Amino acid sequence: MPDRKEPILIVENLKTYFEQAEGTVKAVDGVSFDLKPDEVIGIVGETGSGKSVTVKSIMRLIYPPGRIADGKILFKTDEFSPGNPQYVDITKLSEEQMTRIRGKHISMVFQDPMTSLNPMFTIEDQMIETIMFHRKVDENQAREIALEMLHKVKIPDPERRLKDYPFQLSGGQRQRVVIAIALSCNPEVLIADEPTTALDVTVQAQILELMESLQKEFHTSIIFITHDLAVIAEVANKVMVMYGGKTVEYADVFTIFENPIHPYTNSLLNCIPRVDVKQDSLSPIPGQPPVILNAPPVCPFLPRCNFRTKRCEEELPGLVEVSPGHYVRCFEEIIEKLFVSTRGGQK
Amino acid sequence: MLKIENLKKYFPVKAGFIFERTVAYIKAVDDISLEIKENETYGLVGESGCGKTTAGKTVIRLLDPTDGKIVFDGVDIAKLKEKDLKPFRTKMQIVFQDPMSSLNPRMTIGDMLSEPLLFHGIAKNKKEAEKIIGGLLEEVGLKAYHVDRYPHQFSGGQRQRIAIARAISVKPSLIVLDEPTSALDVSVQAQIINLLKRIQEELHAAYIFISHNLAVVRFISDRVGIMYLGRIVEEGDVDQVFENPMHPYTKALLQAAPVPDPRKKRERTMLIGGSPNVINRPNGCFFNPRCKYRMKICEQEYPEFVEVENGHKVACFLYNK
Repeated sequence: MPDRKEPILIVENLKTYFEQAEGTVKAVDGVSFDLKPDEVIGIVGETGSGKSVTVKSIMRLIYPPGRIADGKILFKTDEFSPGNPQYVDITKLSEEQMTRIRGKHISMVFQDPMTSLNPMFTIEDQMIETIMFHRKVDENQAREIALEMLHKVKIPDPERRLKDYPFQLSGGQRQRVVIAIALSCNPEVLIADEPTTALDVTVQAQILELMESLQKEFHTSIIFITHDLAVIAEVANKVMVMYGGKTVEYADVFTIFENPIHPYTNSLLNCIPRVDVKQDSLSPIPGQPPVILNAPPVCPFLPRCNFRTKRCEEELPGLVEVSPGHYVRCFEEIIEKLFVSTRGGQK
Repeated sequence: MLKIENLKKYFPVKAGFIFERTVAYIKAVDDISLEIKENETYGLVGESGCGKTTAGKTVIRLLDPTDGKIVFDGVDIAKLKEKDLKPFRTKMQIVFQDPMSSLNPRMTIGDMLSEPLLFHGIAKNKKEAEKIIGGLLEEVGLKAYHVDRYPHQFSGGQRQRIAIARAISVKPSLIVLDEPTSALDVSVQAQIINLLKRIQEELHAAYIFISHNLAVVRFISDRVGIMYLGRIVEEGDVDQVFENPMHPYTKALLQAAPVPDPRKKRERTMLIGGSPNVINRPNGCFFNPRCKYRMKICEQEYPEFVEVENGHKVACFLYNK
């Protein structure tokens, strides 16, 4: 077992830009976080917040006009130094080296399983292909592994499902197959990009439960992306809230839900309807999520923020550590004001 | 205001190439009855494929019902011919989930909004229509100068506002809202929900709010109906159903919905499998293969829809003795 304390993945000041004729889209602009073994980090944000681009950068799935402009993605692996795990910088690996990481050490589950499965091949073909590519096994052994994985993701009647084509499965079953493929090489990190958004609530609950039990079994660290705060509350240990390509708040899950500081996090929590509580009103966030083409160097939330000051229009606040492990991108004087308003009566 | 009795909508399943014949029916909406009052929101909840959208479309006669009555302001419109339906069209409107596919990409907002006004004679000429449109846009939180723009120039939330403006332009007394916020970001979703609430206060319209998002339904509805494979299995005031769910399916549905509170670890009754096949529904109660309270009778008969407490109805043998 790897050292529990030492992060397996460290993202440092990641910047991923897209060059457009109209200017530069800073889709991810200076994002940092780390992931320890067995940990689940949730990334929450709205459309265009840069959450998907962040993980696609980790998978090196950014293609022109996009590029990783700056930053480091350190991943601890013994792929290139057998028996002696070392940090490698994913941004510097060659495409060939990357294929030895992708799918084997870091794998990904996408929102829509129909687009990640090839409609022309059976489940068996697709599973065996991945397993044989990354593991030194022959076809029969690969089939065994595939069967075992389908058992583990609790697909009924796995022998028959192996021969099926993706269209013959339901949405929930397809997502199970994708998870089975993703975990078939026993990766250290699993990236799940809105894996339950396209599913019904009851199926979503099944898939979340499944991921939780598999995580315990395989000790996989998970990066879980979603726009649904309720799902985050359920699965994550740590939460990073993103807005306009930047981290606005980063803390453990209890802090985010019980002591949120950033105005955006607060507004976000106040504008979602809840199943379990009767509410009389919702307070929506005025305005639209930002378009980050040629974004000025100020807080991206500024136009929608109720607490903005003059200083906000002039400079970009840094990420401040307000208490150990709790980071907020806002100016100290505003944070102090927020502390008073959230602690003093409202909550 | 609206009373639906034993509404049915079946879709034939055809087979054969030259001699096409009907081999089965998909009973998308199978015998549902409900009542909606003025100024009331009826939430229709269910998983994909349960028939909630078909129900919504059939109620406003976008689809012709197979059987049943739709009594709208005292008139049964279920069997009216298209010609006779025209006066009712202004009274019933619909807003769809994806505004990009319900707004014509080649029409400006102004053209789109003036069309129903001129067609139904609400505005006598273009000038008058323009005036009304200006007011409508303001009403839904857009600006008057937006009239000359095309749908692609708006964000998702704004497009949904346009779709809502078009629906309310003819002053309907019933609006079917088919997942109007599902395609939107959470921060925008709340804006649209509040807008819908405000419009309802002004128009006193009845809403049928169709959604699979339980949290949104809880917030906006007065009454809710839970649908499963074409039938309503539980119905009641929103608080009755959410605080005291009775049908095992409703319970499972509510337990499956995640809650934005990391300290609430719910015990879940996990439902096994997805919704079963709509063509081959199980015998007896449709939910019985997934139900943990299954009894012998559940496999033989479909339970009656009975009132258990004031206005709270459920179709389940557990409450039907």
